[in-house]
Amino acid sequence: MSRNTKISVALVSAFAAVIAVIAIVSTVNNNEEPKPSATAATAATGATADEGPDGTEGADAPEGVTRVVASDPRRLGTRGSTGVTFTEFLDFECEACGAAYPAIEELRKEFAGKVTFQIRYFPLPGHGNSRPAAHAVEAAAQQGKLVAMYQMMYENQESWGEQQTSQAEVFRGFAKEIGLNMKEYDSDVDDPKTAARVERDVQAGTALGVASTPSFFINEEPFQGQSIDDLKQQLKDAIAAS
Amino acid sequence: MTDHAESESGQLDDSFDKPANAFASPRRLGMLLLVAGLIGLAAAFELAIEKFRILENPLYVPPCTVNEVLDCGSVMRSSQSQVFGFPNPFLGIAGFAALAATGLIMFTGGRLSRPYWITLQAGLTFAVVFVHWLMFQTLYRIGALCPYCMAVWAVTIPAFWYVTLCNLQPIAQRRGRGSKFAATLIRNHGIILTVWLLLVAALAAERFWSPWNSIFA
Repeated sequence: MSRNTKISVALVSAFAAVIAVIAIVSTVNNNEEPKPSATAATAATGATADEGPDGTEGADAPEGVTRVVASDPRRLGTRGSTGVTFTEFLDFECEACGAAYPAIEELRKEFAGKVTFQIRYFPLPGHGNSRPAAHAVEAAAQQGKLVAMYQMMYENQESWGEQQTSQAEVFRGFAKEIGLNMKEYDSDVDDPKTAARVERDVQAGTALGVASTPSFFINEEPFQGQSIDDLKQQLKDAIAAS
Repeated sequence: MTDHAESESGQLDDSFDKPANAFASPRRLGMLLLVAGLIGLAAAFELAIEKFRILENPLYVPPCTVNEVLDCGSVMRSSQSQVFGFPNPFLGIAGFAALAATGLIMFTGGRLSRPYWITLQAGLTFAVVFVHWLMFQTLYRIGALCPYCMAVWAVTIPAFWYVTLCNLQPIAQRRGRGSKFAATLIRNHGIILTVWLLLVAALAAERFWSPWNSIFA
């Protein structure tokens, strides 16, 4: 072996060893942390739920049944007549959600009055502003302007997404533009209750096995299809079965 | 000179008198460029196809989207994926095809003129700068890794490196300014390349360590 090869092999081995050590150490550390009982969550999702979609309590309680349809839903528009609920676990900063947004808006038009459209917050840790964005949308929802804020976020995603700095002022601008009471908005955005509401959705999503965004559900069933056409078909099927 | 087989081919002949530098024979460099070009071409072609699928279907999840970290969907939907107003992989398809053809010519004994070498160097220099800009964007702006893009990084760096060293040979041989520096680079070609690639790998690992962890846990 030449000197170049020898040293290169040594460097690669050292690098691999360092990575392996870090991996082992961090796995050990993670295992020491208390984890939410995964088995309990799976058992819970598998159990039959006898609460109605608007059951008033405990729908997302850690020990209870984790349902896709939230007890305090964040609805886009009015409730549908068929009892079918379409749920999107979303991250306002995720590009895939932004790409799906126009199609979902179309879906909302097509199934307006029939299907209930619900969003659930699922900000992913890889995005710096997705949790603050969820808080901003939740603050708008508290003033009954969920849809307007939701649309603002996605229609302007390119301007505020993937930034390394806080976009709180941009979100505040959106809030002003859709005519929110800014005094209320400012206090709601920083209210621990707002954060807790978002976190409840994250916990529910995690318990339901949501790992990426957007994740869609029709009633309590995860959507497995590939396209908007699949989505439409399954919604029609669900309506027919309702 | 010891390396008799290659001594006829102008540019590359007999300056590398150590077996350690045997990479610089036109056949070996040609092979390297051919393989790098074909891998790059395959990756760019796949990226272009995935781009079409993404545009066609808003719910499309590309097969290279494995989790939050390995997510070519968010990389391909970014504005950085079409810096010049059209999808970047179009550049890759053209550039890597040309690189593979150049490699094949060298591997099969063809000679390249001096202007061709200058053009090749210019093209690869653009490619390596562009690829590093993309690395920065994907690591620190988009925050996701795209496996096909990483294949492009992985082949662009060695292709640039060895063509550059090849062009540095005359400088290393002359007793002029920079000759020592050029000779040092050439002597340590493999080590420098390894450190370069490991540095990229380390930056990616560091950047993604916490998301990786949450996936493993």
